[in-house]
Amino acid sequence: MNRRAAVRTLLYIAGGTMVLPACFRESRKASIALANLSISEADEGLLEELVETLVPATDNPGGKDLLLHFFVLKMVDDCHSPDDQQAFTKGLAAFRNWSQKELGKPFAEADLEQRTALLSKVADSGDDELTSFYGMVKRRTIQGYMNSQYVMTNLVKYELIPGRYNGYFPV
Amino acid sequence: MANIAIDSVKDRTFDAIVIGSGASGGWAAKEFTEKGLKTLVLERGRDVVHVKDYPTTNLYPYELEHRGEMTFQDRQRNPIANRCYAYREDSAHFFVKDDEHPYIQDKEFDWLRGYQVGGKSLLWARQTQRWSEYDFEGPARDGFAVDWPIRYADIAPWYSYVERFVGIAGNKDGVATLPDGEFLPPYPLNAAEDHFRKTVDNRYKGRHVISARCAHLSQPQPIHIQQGRVQCQNRTLCQRGCPFGGYFSTNSSTLPWAQKTGNLTLRPFSVVHSILYDKETGRATGVKVVDTNTKDELEFYAQVIFVNASTLNTNLILLNSVSERFPNGLGNDNGLLGKYIAFHNYTARISAEYDGLLQYKTDGRNPAGGGYIPNFRNVTRQETDFLRGWAAAFGASRQELRDTGGVGTNLKDGLLQPTLSNWRIHSHMMAETIPKESNRVWLDNNKKDAWGVPLLHISVAYDDSDWQRRQDYYDQMSEMYEAAGFTNIQTADDNRRPGNDIHEMGGVRMGHDPKTSLLNKWHQLHLCKNVYVTDGACMTSTATQNPTLTYMAFTARAVDHAVNELKKGNL
Repeated sequence: MNRRAAVRTLLYIAGGTMVLPACFRESRKASIALANLSISEADEGLLEELVETLVPATDNPGGKDLLLHFFVLKMVDDCHSPDDQQAFTKGLAAFRNWSQKELGKPFAEADLEQRTALLSKVADSGDDELTSFYGMVKRRTIQGYMNSQYVMTNLVKYELIPGRYNGYFPV
Repeated sequence: MANIAIDSVKDRTFDAIVIGSGASGGWAAKEFTEKGLKTLVLERGRDVVHVKDYPTTNLYPYELEHRGEMTFQDRQRNPIANRCYAYREDSAHFFVKDDEHPYIQDKEFDWLRGYQVGGKSLLWARQTQRWSEYDFEGPARDGFAVDWPIRYADIAPWYSYVERFVGIAGNKDGVATLPDGEFLPPYPLNAAEDHFRKTVDNRYKGRHVISARCAHLSQPQPIHIQQGRVQCQNRTLCQRGCPFGGYFSTNSSTLPWAQKTGNLTLRPFSVVHSILYDKETGRATGVKVVDTNTKDELEFYAQVIFVNASTLNTNLILLNSVSERFPNGLGNDNGLLGKYIAFHNYTARISAEYDGLLQYKTDGRNPAGGGYIPNFRNVTRQETDFLRGWAAAFGASRQELRDTGGVGTNLKDGLLQPTLSNWRIHSHMMAETIPKESNRVWLDNNKKDAWGVPLLHISVAYDDSDWQRRQDYYDQMSEMYEAAGFTNIQTADDNRRPGNDIHEMGGVRMGHDPKTSLLNKWHQLHLCKNVYVTDGACMTSTATQNPTLTYMAFTARAVDHAVNELKKGNL
């Protein structure tokens, strides 16, 4: 999927939020308009790798293809409290440092296997900032994935008009 | 420039005025216009045209900006609306926002409102049960409130009349506490619900589990097709407005029907300030309206006025209708207007699990929601320490459990390859409450809203008997669940505030005696006979049933009476 076109599609669907393509951006701001969160281009890139690690592309699309990092940002920006938002930004920085320390290189440069193994260790890190950030990202990634057009039309089909009810349907 | 047509008294004069366009106001409009009366329907909110004004109705979940969730800012600004189960991203535009229409909570009360053409009929839970003789006899037998001036026999034919037009899916269950009606085919119970029904039938005399009766077209009849409505498609997205007209709303049914007669004038953006009273004739002459767009004050006149503004707003309008003759509100010589407000106690839930009948699951969606347990407490005699009883919603479903524990392909597999749970059983209580003088509303002396209408004080609370009924619900339901082999039975207090049930009733109660009630058996104000109240404000007691069907039947009966009285020259 062409990323820029996909961003436009997502944001069209998401209600027409203003967006500037990366090449037009002056600052290193995130590519979607955010009212509360302060997210850099680098933060956005890290989040993109994070959602891809959580839900990787296989023979069907993963977090990156489905732009779940934008979904996570959108939801945290609009639906979470200022406390949560602060925890998210702090947690993102904490995650950057922690992953660098654990992997010996930036998260994005590790291979999928290393990244997957690392995420499995977040819960044991004992770091509240990290775990609450990770919890938010994971919950919103799962929500975004399950409620994505791709999944709802191809994998777990959502019926807008079932037109039936059977209370004795054989399993 | 002034509108010439509006300036003409003749053009502002109708045969009948209906205040409010919700379920009961819509019925008043339909009945009056069908009987040939030029009818003005006043709605304080905007117009909502069936289908055209349902902007979210065909959206997929991924087309909703926040997938249905309300934003943090909205939750902060509108805590009352956000506590309503139906207030979601796809339906929020049909709810009143807290700060748009303030009221004064002397005790915590969630007043949930739908200010638009169709009112809350767009949003209702669509459960439709008749009252029984036991319910109408209740206050007289048990010595609370006042005696209802009507009995089941008075309203039964009107229930039938309304049901045929609305379309009610239900089973003829032969249960004395919940009389059968004119039903379309029911939505059958599922395997686990049916198992519970059989258990209760076998073990408990006088207790029943039935298919929930609801205002859905399970099999539309010619009368429904004529309204432009077709079969319910089991979407269960009703609160968005239904493009099929699969459930009953004013917008899909009564109002377009009234429009077809050519006798209807619908005026949205019209807040009714008060009802005008003429002491010479002892009759109301019309209403004073504030146009919410222009802020102009206008008067409209009619021979008969129906107040269907929703329970508390009906109280407000009557309290604000002061005159030399009625300084405390229209028809309020006894000082009881605004008092004896009651509601339904929804503060209890029970969940459980069932490991039987795992060869079945459900497929599609059930718009009725599942089963219903009519009240069986204190029906033919007083058997408990508390008065009256409770009904319960009951349902079972099997959930797709998705393992969210993993990361990467493990997580993906967990999400995409769910396992089927056992049966999850759920129920919530709908208990009767006892109307009390101390549960009341009144007008503030100083504070007014944007249209110059005084703000409403609300002081309504639970009492100890509400907790006794709740305990009985827990005890009896748990015992019945155990008898059915359900496990992991969990009771859960639901600390919702009064009002959150959205079944506020009373304040303008019916009764025999003008000294102790406001309305007579025909819903006329005892002291101003051409003003009728047929929404929830007229309720003398609450019973346990979802009330809307009863308001609609009351309205059809009262319009019939009003038109006959007009013909006789009595109004």
